[in-house]
Amino acid sequence: MKGKILIRRMLRSPQFVIGFVIVITIVLVSVFADQLAPMDENLNHITARFTPPQGISAYFNGGYVLGSDELGRDILSRVLVGSKISLTIAFVGTICVATIGTLLGVFAGYFGGVVDDIVMRATEVTMAIPSMTLGIVIMAIFGPSISNLILVMIITSWKNFAKISRNQVMIMRNREFVQASRALGGSGWHVIMTQIMPNVTTPLLIQLSGTFGGIILTEAGLSYLYLGVQLPNPSWGNMIAGGRTYLAAYPWMVIVPGIALMITVLGFNFLGDGLRDVLDPKQTR
Amino acid sequence: MVKFFAKRILCLLLVVWIVSVLAFVMMRLAPGDAAVMALPDYASEAQIAAMRVKLGLDKPYITQYLIYLGDLLRGDLGTSVLYEKPCLDVIMERLPATLSVTIVCSIMVLIISIPLGIIAGVNKGGPIDFFAVLFALLGQSMSVVWICVLLLLLCSVKHNWLPSMGYNGLFDVKYLIMPAIAMGYKMCAGMVRMGRSGMIDVLSEDYITCAYARGMSRFEVNCKYAFKNSIIPVITLFGMDVAAMLAGAVIIETTFTIPGIGSMLVKAVSNRDYPLTQSTLVVTAAMFAVVNLVVDIVNAFIDRRMKLN
Repeated sequence: MKGKILIRRMLRSPQFVIGFVIVITIVLVSVFADQLAPMDENLNHITARFTPPQGISAYFNGGYVLGSDELGRDILSRVLVGSKISLTIAFVGTICVATIGTLLGVFAGYFGGVVDDIVMRATEVTMAIPSMTLGIVIMAIFGPSISNLILVMIITSWKNFAKISRNQVMIMRNREFVQASRALGGSGWHVIMTQIMPNVTTPLLIQLSGTFGGIILTEAGLSYLYLGVQLPNPSWGNMIAGGRTYLAAYPWMVIVPGIALMITVLGFNFLGDGLRDVLDPKQTR
Repeated sequence: MVKFFAKRILCLLLVVWIVSVLAFVMMRLAPGDAAVMALPDYASEAQIAAMRVKLGLDKPYITQYLIYLGDLLRGDLGTSVLYEKPCLDVIMERLPATLSVTIVCSIMVLIISIPLGIIAGVNKGGPIDFFAVLFALLGQSMSVVWICVLLLLLCSVKHNWLPSMGYNGLFDVKYLIMPAIAMGYKMCAGMVRMGRSGMIDVLSEDYITCAYARGMSRFEVNCKYAFKNSIIPVITLFGMDVAAMLAGAVIIETTFTIPGIGSMLVKAVSNRDYPLTQSTLVVTAAMFAVVNLVVDIVNAFIDRRMKLN
């Protein structure tokens, strides 16, 4: 697809534009989280516990823009720094998941037979255990750490990429240009990389955006059970868990991280849907 | 048809077996000595050694595995360290609560999502479609945690509509409404999207045009032809979600303190009750297999093409 047409299509899809703007803003905010945060995210202020949100003006005179929590920590700073942790996990997780899942799916689709059987049974096995159940078991047994969190993401999400790439490769495998490449003596790896992969990227790209949002949600769920990002490090999930006790009296402790979480995932889902409109106009989903 | 189901059952049994192997391996990989974990801190060396023998940890891994597999085939899932009861009994005690939430949630989801998805698909681009897409997108973007908290804030804190926690059997529905909404919204979102896109795809097929050409009314075409064919992926998705719910919605059960399988699992893992954790994984996989088989049977009834193969 020509660049010009692509850009015109992007601008014509409101979902893509909204998603793109949200995602770029959130990525920038999380990259500069330490600079943007008005206070140290772990600084306690026992005299200023449960300060209600004081509004934007407080940002410049050392107040609590979005209020403070049970230890007097600034919620805005914690949400900002939490975004950095969440997005880093989601970013690394998505790359690992996409690479592993796609490679396995492509091999399954291209070689078929036993390889295909093994990979397909493996996807069924990971489907048989819900991601949250598996996440809890792994995190509890091997200890909650960022690397184990990413391991959970890989185990629970690789199957989506594997299935999509397998089906796409199955369709591509017997097309003329693939057979021509094979007839000219191309090895399996060469054919996969130069002939098949460029033709299966569109659905994978769309899946990528959805996976990113999904990983953020899983991380928030595990952190909510204190099995993800560990205190005192802030994460949207453990902030919601911490604020739940004070829900009746100090609701902002929960609402602020909740809204941050929702907007972020909404942004990635919008982007995914928008990409589908832009890259694959035939599909309606 | 018989061959298809025989193959499916074999596949699903294979999946359950692999999960049981993985659960076994994972529990052996876990750091720490299971015998030490099972005893209080002041246990003597002799007591620990006795516990090792009792748990069968003194034997080589292969022997341990064969004993485990033998017990599993006889339906014995081992004894829970935490509850000091057979694991299967513990799980069965917790199943009714999880099952009640699943039932209320499933009914709610089916009533809302199927009509909404279908109507949105038929009226693509209309106001109902816009609402359905927004509803689904929001549902997929909200964390279950966030939905739980919002519901609590609205229904228990601001207005005293529903009790914020507890469980009192299937028929005391007021305890189950909030958990069911929290669990069901995401499910609903997925099913609405799936139903809508399925309907749009099917309505562009040639046989729909053909049905109109034969003079059928719009209602008849939508109900008789399009609905039947677009519902199959929705049922498959519904089955997967129900299987996941039966494994215990951990976040919801801990938030609303429902004594179900999910909250039991959290308790089991935090107390390092390895036999119970292991059995929960195996039972979860078995439930997944059963639900999947049911889904396959239902789909075979709806879809004639599957019978022909």
